[in-house]
Amino acid sequence: MKTKFKQIFEKLYAQKDKLWLVIWLGGLLLVWGWNLLFLNRPALQRIETGFINSFMIALLVLVFSLALSWITVNSLLLPHRWLRTLFVFLLNILRSIPQIVGILFGYVGITLLLQQGKLQSTFTVLVLMAIVVSLFVFQELVDLMRERVRHFHKSDFYQAMLVRGIAESRIINYDILWMNSRVHIFNKLIAIFGVAIFLQCSVDFIISIGLSTTLSSIDLPVTLGTLLANIDSKQDILAIGNSLMHPSYISKIFFEHLQGVTVAFLIVFSLLSIYKIANGFTERFKL
Amino acid sequence: MRRRLTEHLLSILVITLLAAGVFWYLRAQNEQKPTPAEKQLGPLLELPFAEYDDPFHTALLRDLLDLYRPGRSAENDSLLSLLLKTREQKLVKELTRSHLQQKLTWPKLGQLSLMYGQFIWVYVLVLFLTYYGVQTVAVMRFVRKKQERESYLYALWQLLSAKPFSGGAQKTLKAVRQAVSLLIKAALRGLLYFILFSPAYVIAYSLRTRIDTDTVFFMIVLGVFSNGLLINYANKFYTFLVSESRKGYVLTAMVKNLSTDYSHHKKRGIPYRAIFALRKHFGAHVFQHIFINSRYQYLATFKEQASFLITGLIIIEMALNIHGHLGYELLQQLLYQNYEIVLVIILFIFYLVKLTEMATDWFIERLARVYENKI
Repeated sequence: MKTKFKQIFEKLYAQKDKLWLVIWLGGLLLVWGWNLLFLNRPALQRIETGFINSFMIALLVLVFSLALSWITVNSLLLPHRWLRTLFVFLLNILRSIPQIVGILFGYVGITLLLQQGKLQSTFTVLVLMAIVVSLFVFQELVDLMRERVRHFHKSDFYQAMLVRGIAESRIINYDILWMNSRVHIFNKLIAIFGVAIFLQCSVDFIISIGLSTTLSSIDLPVTLGTLLANIDSKQDILAIGNSLMHPSYISKIFFEHLQGVTVAFLIVFSLLSIYKIANGFTERFKL
Repeated sequence: MRRRLTEHLLSILVITLLAAGVFWYLRAQNEQKPTPAEKQLGPLLELPFAEYDDPFHTALLRDLLDLYRPGRSAENDSLLSLLLKTREQKLVKELTRSHLQQKLTWPKLGQLSLMYGQFIWVYVLVLFLTYYGVQTVAVMRFVRKKQERESYLYALWQLLSAKPFSGGAQKTLKAVRQAVSLLIKAALRGLLYFILFSPAYVIAYSLRTRIDTDTVFFMIVLGVFSNGLLINYANKFYTFLVSESRKGYVLTAMVKNLSTDYSHHKKRGIPYRAIFALRKHFGAHVFQHIFINSRYQYLATFKEQASFLITGLIIIEMALNIHGHLGYELLQQLLYQNYEIVLVIILFIFYLVKLTEMATDWFIERLARVYENKI
């Protein structure tokens, strides 16, 4: 039994992405269990909803980023040179807008639509939020895809396939992107997942603390960012600083300040775990 | 280079023209448009001698209306009440918005320029520090990998797997000391990771009761160490180091007897001094070539790093409500719907990103010419 456990651990240690996936899920489960015991039900429900919404948006960001990148890479196959140049030019302009500014404006737009009553379902709002975030993060994936296409474009097999009469779009989409780059794309998607969570939490936090008087944060679905901006959570986070000077206070943090500490932990621990998973994946496939 | 420069300048021109168009549109929209009630009551609202707070004036107006519009008493009453109501609404609206609404004036532009100057100053400093940090952390990680050092937790696991407590008291004590030391190191490293991955506002709020977090110094510290910037871009640099180390020229260099010893304390190794130096140089070590080539490749990512840094700094200024800073000003003006000023701030930020991109492209071009022996 002991040897088997040791073998499993050694195997997991060699595949760090899987190890960190286990650590992440284990950590989340542990925190949930702790909260189930010591946090009041309404607060726990808010955290659960915030967590699910945040991760739902991040997953949708992956879907939209993938779609946008695929469309972009295929648009670069357009027959007219000036159209291609225009497309790249517009992409570069979009790249020069800092992500936070773009997403902030997108979110303000969504909130205005909500106030005008044009958006009714929460899912539609989540989808819109994901579209806004993906507009400012998908370029990383485009860069990777273009680099892969450029890399294979130089090789003999590309020319050979063209000579055989195979359509360029098939070579790019199937032979290059699907057959030879999907591991790279998946790795990049893991990184984008982390960036999406970070940006989304930050914008939600900023909107909730900075714009809450006119653009009510109640209108937007609860996410980890909005929960962190909640006054109770902020008090909980302040308590961490208090415990630095009064170490005896540390024990109280895990019982009396659970809401804020849990939200902060979920954000930071998820970002760290996703980083480690992406790293492990890179190492395992020698990308 | 000329093509790239043209593209940059063209995008600056396009965005500036677009912003100017939006600016004039906003200005036209902001001109006070009268409400339907104000339109209907226009001349009555503007009567220079009438003071409607005075009951005598109100009664006088009522009599005048009856005089000029005889037989329409009820209509005149409702007109008068509408007049008083509209006047009150206009006054309330002006009072509540007057101190919040701002237009883009020359003094305001000057104020924004000062904030922009401060933002640029902080940005350049943090960019320099993070660039140094990214290289140092990546080199450190690469050297540790070459030294085949395992993580502290894994070392602890191995120590415990070797059944260290079964020997004598002295052996047990030594093992306990080792285990505790590894555990402390692992905990410290974990804490460091948590700090590096924490969004700036989490760190700032954690320390707010103990430290004044609204200072420029603290902003710089947060800019360097938080938001995952340092660790993520160090990882990208590290990836370049690993991919370079797999290339053929490394084997050639080894054949030419360049050092491949990665220990810190040997003469032909990699000393800490070289790792932490501002200008990193590793002498006749094969790593010198790996490092230089990786640094060149990283320059393309540097633009991405700069853009993410701006995002980070704006998040810090907005989330911490640091008064008198560009990010905070942007948030405030957005809140008060002063879109003219918002537009100017965004334009400022766009120019900064473009300027960084142009400078990086120029530097890449220059280095490429050096590598191709054209200079």
